[in-house]
Amino acid sequence: MTTNDNINEVVDFLCEYASRLLSCGVHTSRVVRNTQRIAHSQNMWVTLEIFRSHITLTASIRGTNHYVTRLVEVPKAPISFSRNSALSSLSWIAYDNDPSLDELKEKYQQILEKPKLSPYLVLLLVALANMSFCKLFGGHLVAMAIVFLGTALGFFLKQKMGQWKSNTFSTFILSAFVASVFCASIAYYFLNPDQTVIAMSTSVLYLIPGVPLVNGVIDIIEGHIMIGASRLIDAMLLIFSIAVGLGITLSIFHDSLL
Amino acid sequence: MNILLEFFVDGLFAAIAGIGFGAISNPPRRAFLYIAILAAGGHMLRHLLMNYFAMDIAFSSLFAGMLIGLLSMPLAYRAATPSTVIYIPALLPMIPGKFAYNTLFSIMMFLRTSHDPHLADLYLTKFMSNGLITFSVIFFLTIGSTLPVFILPKQAYQMTRKNKVL
Repeated sequence: MTTNDNINEVVDFLCEYASRLLSCGVHTSRVVRNTQRIAHSQNMWVTLEIFRSHITLTASIRGTNHYVTRLVEVPKAPISFSRNSALSSLSWIAYDNDPSLDELKEKYQQILEKPKLSPYLVLLLVALANMSFCKLFGGHLVAMAIVFLGTALGFFLKQKMGQWKSNTFSTFILSAFVASVFCASIAYYFLNPDQTVIAMSTSVLYLIPGVPLVNGVIDIIEGHIMIGASRLIDAMLLIFSIAVGLGITLSIFHDSLL
Repeated sequence: MNILLEFFVDGLFAAIAGIGFGAISNPPRRAFLYIAILAAGGHMLRHLLMNYFAMDIAFSSLFAGMLIGLLSMPLAYRAATPSTVIYIPALLPMIPGKFAYNTLFSIMMFLRTSHDPHLADLYLTKFMSNGLITFSVIFFLTIGSTLPVFILPKQAYQMTRKNKVL
């Protein structure tokens, strides 16, 4: 149970939990609700103001007027649905069972240490996904094979640039360019212009930022306009980056596609 | 029989696409099956509406999005994940890639032909129509899939409650 002696420790944990949850690709109202459940289990009241890269959090012990306010930075981390699910479950465990802060911290640590999917497995699945996309758009077997290879190449570059902590927009531009130029140049020799267009246009679709697009709309509908708009602007910039990468390829091959 | 095969192929490839796009966001392994079911169901419904009911791509996407959003509630409960975890990847196979490509291609051709008013007009019109379709499809997909969550918020926000083991 929270007392005036350990209030800072509890608030630190609430800040850590809320910022980590936001960083793994969760829409805003879920971050607020989950953090409030955790606070409830510690006999605390909490309110949050959430922006794209910072969270302001004010908390107090229930029934007292001793308030603590913190401003925390949201860590930059890749989207993780697995962590989203586990952290959401943790908030219900806290709400339903009222565990101690130490128990919560231990479970939280276990969630952070959970292994991710193998990057090679993800690479294979993404390449297969784009290949299937090509089929849905009317691509033939050769076009599908070319898209598979081009996607694998582009996504491998994206993974590597992520490890090198490269700028996100440069990563998107380069990955889109590499995947599309590979597909266009191979398809140019083996396929007709229609199939070349299908191969080239599907080769970059693995980069579409679906999570910020959907989260942005949910946030705006739920009244979190500022962060919703930020997410949509982020998504638009990433889509523009894809367009730049694909546009460079188009400018090289446009005569053969007319 | 041919129709069944047509829908099976459509659903199968949509499911593979959904699984792959989901994998990028590191979902829990138990979610993959449900992502595949939603992606296949949504894409097949859109295929049906567009090809057999002559509905346009934007409104077909709205209904497909709504189906995905609705089905995501019981499936997310079974998977003990937030519903967004399974429905966002399932929407991605319906992104209108061809129209998005044509929008970009029209911009490039407009810039190249800007000295010729007739051709420039043509590409500007193509840019507007393709861009509007791309935007409408993405907008309707998102709105369609989020509607059920807003209609049943209490149920939607308790999907992870039964997961006691993390």
